Amino acid sequence: MKATLPKITNEKAKGISAMKWTLFKFLVIFMFLNVSPIPINAQEAEYAQIAAEDDLKKSQQKFKSVNSVVLSEVFENLSILELFQKIENVSDFRFSYDDNDINKDLRVSMDAQGKSVADVLSILANQTSLSFRQLNNDIIVRFQVKSVEPEIKSAFDKTITGTVVDNDGGTVPGVNIVVKGTAIGTVTDINGKFSLVIPDNADTLIISYIGYITQNVIIGNRTSINIQIQEDVQALDEYVVIGYQTVKKQDLTGSVSVIATKQAAEISTNSVVESLQGLAPGVTVKNGGRPGQMGDIEIRGIGSFRDKSPLYIIDGMYADPNSTVNPNDIESIQILKDGSAAAIYGSRAANGVVIITTKKGKEGPAKISFTAKTGIQQIPRTWDVMNNVEFAALQRQQYENSGLIPPPSVGSDFDPNINTDWQDEGYRTGHIQDYNMTISGGTKTSNYLVALSWFDNKGVLIGNDFERASLRLNTSGKKGKFFFGENIVVTRTIDEAPASGNAFYDLPQLLPVIPVQDDDLINPDANNPGGWGFGTPAAPVYAWNYVAINDLHRNTSTFAKVIGNGFAGIDFTDYLQYKFNAGLEASFDRTKTVRKDGNWAFNQSPVPDQISEARGTFSSVLLEHTLNFNKDFGKHHVDAVFGYTQQYTDHQTNFASRTNMIDFNGEYLTEIDAAEGSDVAFGRVQNRFLIRSLLGRANYIYDNRYLLTLTARRDGDSRFAEEYRFGIFPSIAAGWRISNESFFRADWITNLQLYGSYGVLGINSIQPFEYAGFLNINPRAVFGADQNVYPGAYLANLFNPDLRWESRKMTNIGVTSNFFNDRLITTLEVYNNLSEDALVPVPLAFYLGNLGGNPDVNAASIRNRGIELSATYRNFNKEFKWELGGNITTIQNRVVKIADTGEGSDFIQIGNSRSQVGNSLAEWYLRETDGIFQSIDEVNSYISSDGIVIQPNAQPGDIRFIDQNDDGQINDDDRTFRGSPWPTLQTGMQFSANYKGFSLSMQWVGVFGHLIYNDVRRILDSYQNTNYRSDISPWSPTNTDTNDPRIALESTLGGDLLDPGIAENNFAASDRWLENGSYVRLRNLEIGYSLPESVLTRFKFDSMRFFISGQNLLTFTEYTGLDPDIPGGIASIGFDGGNWPASRIISIGLQAGF
Amino acid sequence: MKTHSIFILIVTLIIMAGCQKDLEIANPNALTIANFWQTEADAVRGVNAVYSTLHRGAISRWQWFYYEIRSDVGRSTSPDPGIVNNMDQFNINDNAYGNTVGVWADNYVGIFRANQVLDNVPDMDIDDNLKERIIGEAYFLRGLFYYHLATLFGNVPLQLETSSPEDLPSTSSQQQVFAQIESDLMQAADRLPLKQGYAADDLGRATRGSAQALLAKVYMQQQKYAEALGPLSWFITGGGAGQYSLMPNYRDNFLITSENNNESVFEWQFEINSTETTDDDVATPNHNIGSSISQFLAPKPIGFADGEAHRWIVHEFLEETTTSGARDPRLEASFLYDSTNVGGPTQTIVYGVNWQQRLNTNQIVPGVFFRKFLNDHWRNAESFRSPNNYRHIRYADVLLMYAECLNATGSTGMAYEYVDQVRARAGLAPLSEVAPGLSQTGFLDQIKHERLTELSGEGHRWTDLARWGDLGPQLAERDPAFNNFIVNKHELLPIPQLDLDINPNMRQNNGY
Repeated sequence: MKATLPKITNEKAKGISAMKWTLFKFLVIFMFLNVSPIPINAQEAEYAQIAAEDDLKKSQQKFKSVNSVVLSEVFENLSILELFQKIENVSDFRFSYDDNDINKDLRVSMDAQGKSVADVLSILANQTSLSFRQLNNDIIVRFQVKSVEPEIKSAFDKTITGTVVDNDGGTVPGVNIVVKGTAIGTVTDINGKFSLVIPDNADTLIISYIGYITQNVIIGNRTSINIQIQEDVQALDEYVVIGYQTVKKQDLTGSVSVIATKQAAEISTNSVVESLQGLAPGVTVKNGGRPGQMGDIEIRGIGSFRDKSPLYIIDGMYADPNSTVNPNDIESIQILKDGSAAAIYGSRAANGVVIITTKKGKEGPAKISFTAKTGIQQIPRTWDVMNNVEFAALQRQQYENSGLIPPPSVGSDFDPNINTDWQDEGYRTGHIQDYNMTISGGTKTSNYLVALSWFDNKGVLIGNDFERASLRLNTSGKKGKFFFGENIVVTRTIDEAPASGNAFYDLPQLLPVIPVQDDDLINPDANNPGGWGFGTPAAPVYAWNYVAINDLHRNTSTFAKVIGNGFAGIDFTDYLQYKFNAGLEASFDRTKTVRKDGNWAFNQSPVPDQISEARGTFSSVLLEHTLNFNKDFGKHHVDAVFGYTQQYTDHQTNFASRTNMIDFNGEYLTEIDAAEGSDVAFGRVQNRFLIRSLLGRANYIYDNRYLLTLTARRDGDSRFAEEYRFGIFPSIAAGWRISNESFFRADWITNLQLYGSYGVLGINSIQPFEYAGFLNINPRAVFGADQNVYPGAYLANLFNPDLRWESRKMTNIGVTSNFFNDRLITTLEVYNNLSEDALVPVPLAFYLGNLGGNPDVNAASIRNRGIELSATYRNFNKEFKWELGGNITTIQNRVVKIADTGEGSDFIQIGNSRSQVGNSLAEWYLRETDGIFQSIDEVNSYISSDGIVIQPNAQPGDIRFIDQNDDGQINDDDRTFRGSPWPTLQTGMQFSANYKGFSLSMQWVGVFGHLIYNDVRRILDSYQNTNYRSDISPWSPTNTDTNDPRIALESTLGGDLLDPGIAENNFAASDRWLENGSYVRLRNLEIGYSLPESVLTRFKFDSMRFFISGQNLLTFTEYTGLDPDIPGGIASIGFDGGNWPASRIISIGLQAGF
Repeated sequence: MKTHSIFILIVTLIIMAGCQKDLEIANPNALTIANFWQTEADAVRGVNAVYSTLHRGAISRWQWFYYEIRSDVGRSTSPDPGIVNNMDQFNINDNAYGNTVGVWADNYVGIFRANQVLDNVPDMDIDDNLKERIIGEAYFLRGLFYYHLATLFGNVPLQLETSSPEDLPSTSSQQQVFAQIESDLMQAADRLPLKQGYAADDLGRATRGSAQALLAKVYMQQQKYAEALGPLSWFITGGGAGQYSLMPNYRDNFLITSENNNESVFEWQFEINSTETTDDDVATPNHNIGSSISQFLAPKPIGFADGEAHRWIVHEFLEETTTSGARDPRLEASFLYDSTNVGGPTQTIVYGVNWQQRLNTNQIVPGVFFRKFLNDHWRNAESFRSPNNYRHIRYADVLLMYAECLNATGSTGMAYEYVDQVRARAGLAPLSEVAPGLSQTGFLDQIKHERLTELSGEGHRWTDLARWGDLGPQLAERDPAFNNFIVNKHELLPIPQLDLDINPNMRQNNGY
């Protein structure tokens, strides 16, 4: 598209060009000449404020922004090329242009003293048909035809003047002022002032400036207007890393959630994942509370029976951000959710991709910043169970109801002095400490950041502690056309915890009439040398004494890990860059388990004391070559990446143990050499595989209005049989920026963009060698008078040689809108993801004799559909600034297909969850209860259509079950779908506000519409060999208005089943244990105060801020368990078997920098 | 241009790298099956794996429950209603009950293993004697597993080759299954060495005698008493004559100090692995090579007492005294109860403490506990790791079977001699003195008594009752659980539902 170039001056008009033009003169004359259309929002549309083109995300450090380079020259009558040369001389920038785009006759004069390069270029952009775009150190110049035809009008009726100031009241030069709907415009001068002659019918000025919110100002009758512009805090987010490329957020055609890391960082967590809860639509995070526990994350539902984890990329390295990665090191987190954004990661991207970028140094002198946070942790809720007197009374009643003599502990031998509050014995006030120190800085060509951190968490449960120390070193630099750098973190964590038992399951059950420990109970013959209290025939309970376990059986896990990458590359030209990236994740973990002599439970089979140690080494090496291309051709913009990548992963484990530790008066030596019993040793390569891939993506933009993205990746993966090793994963996406169309005239909408994508991605959850048959050498035969052991060998495990990728067809449609000068930004997305070839363990008949698990088959299909809405409103105009953000997620999950094995196999049943075609994954499949029988007449009249008494064992006070198949009996055939563990709605809300030095921020999370199976309540409310909840009200002939069935014994301790009616009440596969899991939680509340500048300068600090925060302060829920926020595997969604509840944390902290 | 050539070089490198094909990574942990079945050691390992099946929990523990606890001798008062309902009370409402399925599955695991030996070893180029022996062992063990299946489940599919996931065999009738077992055991008997044909280190492997005795059992379960006389007479007058003898002390058959003794015809070998973590013998070499049954049978709080005996069995022993007027010594060896020692509860020692002290709580009904698998003769605790071998087929059993077959085929008079050998060892007067001239029916009744006192708790009661046609509600006199017994249903266990769901060619047993 060739157009007549506008000319400011040309060689033929030397007389004029020789004159020294002031900027003001230049502008005024230009305006009157009116030969050139003015680009609409030239700066906003075309400037790259931050360098792009680099998923290394260190752009802000490696390359200076055009904003930050300030000139001191006065340019006099230079050709445009000479001007470029001058700027190149005093900066690292290089201009790149197509000769055809530039009118070399253009002459420029300008006083650039104190102006940034951005200012200068914005003036040029305003006055010419040139546009500028920064890419790293390149400034790409291109010719652009403006879409708005100039309105030729000779009558200029009025002159309007004004001053533009920023938030702090300082004047701002270089601000664009344009009369709406016309080409008439100017920029503010060095003093922030402007003057513009406008048509008398002009009613609105558009005020725009890079990094600030574009405003529409009504002119009215005014001739003088003072404008305050608001910094656009969104600006920093405008560039997003999408894998091997960085693109402007507005140029996205796929679904990417950018996490507000500031809010994520306010949460005290063990792992990065946990901090994401509620912050992004479509991202479901569930948290446990155990120190060192990793949260549970699902992106847009679950589409696989084997793997729901997203892929994590940390600084370009495929690596696991478990609790070894310090959340404080993180600069930004971006979540790629759809088939386009994630497509560049091909066979590993179907569950979504989480891209984590760590902090980098910035140009300037060394800065030291320090954050310290300390707080206490509490269990927000405990089970309200009975004390000794209440318990003894009710248990006596229970035994008497069954016609039995009560156990001595509540009868003849009841000791009022024993009143153990087991939960109190197990829980404690936890403690969190988190210290971070960062030293960073840089020059024009290099930067560095060193971060040290120490995190310590003493959990709310005795004996559970977690500690992490880490050192991060990120640097980068450049020399000429070459650039290089590295990001590396070294971490060590120590995780200590009892090696068995679940306190949240056991402690509420234990009887208050049993002491925790007592000298009277010491009995080495009965394997209780410690005198621990647990169940006996006199006080029957099978729950484990967690306090005893804490002493007798402990794990200490030490984890050392390195994650890092190094890179080097060359900028061949301004539009072509080559980069080599080498990444490494290596970890060394060691778990030592000490098992001392002694029992902790009733009827426990004794085992010898033992010391054991498990060690593992993991390494993953990534090598990548990428070429990046980025160029404008007139109105056409193309950027693309093409690359080759390979990753080799290796994981090996060893285990050794020996029994019979040597005990010196109760002191054990806990090294294997110090034990003298039998040895065990084994070791194996757990995992070893190689992935080689070719990848490519091209983004095409026409005239800032039409966007197209094509992506493809070809993966080769050694984990498959030869014929299934390679797969191609393509995607296509398109966008339409409606707000840039000339017909679009809605003033209150500053941006409106529609986009959609379709892609086919993959998941590989199979293990290496799973496709082949291997010899099992574990069987052992015993022969000979000495009973010697001889090895056996055979093929134990039948296999599926046809394993291949699980694939996912992903469709996404979205619309992003910015309203009211970007104060309100909303995004609405609709997606439809169909998983195909999902691996399911198709059950093999037992007569095949297969062992070691059913081979999986690529036979299932699961659909996830949903709507995601997010909105942010910010008001920064006043001294009181606030921002409110929220998001809403719906996920509809449907099993479309399970397998083709014929009759009766359209479902997979695991425990009480059934995944059946037409329903969601893992819906509750249980017997349906129907109230309580109030009389024996009700029991006898509850008959099937054949007249059979359905529950002949029932007595008044027992639970009535519905005989779904009308066969006259209640059994597993009467199970039916009783609800879903999937929330119908998930929401998150964030609010933050600033006033002077004070800040307040809040996060809320709301999850609605799902059912939880409360397995702890099942035990407690069964009444059998357990303590009772304080508020139960068992049915009796005199207490009929209750939901709790009658209380009696199922069977004696000896085992005689004496009351099958009670046994049926307590049947596990019953909806009696389902509860509404909806909740609303105040996830975080933080109040902070920053010291004012005046105080800081006295102490030579740059910043200092104090804060106090409360986490999980409030939860509104009907759920009776400890916490409705329950992480779990795919098979156990919504199952609460004593989940560690999220702790309440109250902490204070200090952030300082100098 | 320099950068230009670098660019070309890089692009070339990328394309070349992308074309490389080294995605073949060998499994460093295990051999592929294709590399196995080459050497003598491979063949021995292959057949060892078949024996290893006998350590698996469902076979070494639960299977016994179905033969004894389900019978009129046993009962369960386990807190686990699954055990009570399925293994004792004929209250079976779940065709997928885990332990029943486990017994079924573990026997087929053994069959899968045996089939791999039978499919591979015959073609191997190894020493012929060894080859024949290994094939014989595999036939014997396959026959043994099918014997369990035929007597517990009856009509089961026959897997006779290495399994493939596509296999959809039809149900074979119990009769067809027995026929297959006969064939397997004859193959085994032809190939297996005599007991002394094995090296000392191989003591415990199946012998020709093992195959003959089991073959006799298979015939007898089909009331083919005449056919059974063939393999049984092998012990008395044939090639096996003189190979076996009764141990002078009856209790030696249940002590860890006298395993694989002269009376042992086929014995499951168990040993302690003090560091085991599982009963699953393919999960790790560090699995349980002992039996956990003692933990499940010992009285509380030593064990779980998931299976006990009815008290009437005690009286069965008290019907006669020895020639010296003493109590039948087999009672003390067979059961632990309040008068295991004739001196009563204060003299009866239960794991180091007398009965009175050990079980003094009013919650526990004084029970009668099966003793033959227990380890109270050498330690004061139980665990999942019992080294006490299971003497599955003893010579005493062979003698009683021989007597039963002689009687059944009309040679009652000849049968006395073999019963008397068994009685004499217990110190009882010869039957020919105390009950001479019994009718065929009378003699069979006597055999029933003799088998109770001699073989109680050794896993034969269910098959005995089945063979004699005695299974039925009338047994409720001894064991009230038989009130629930439905004829033509409860003789057999339900076929696991999963297999029926997958394989339309199979059918469920009658009544389930």
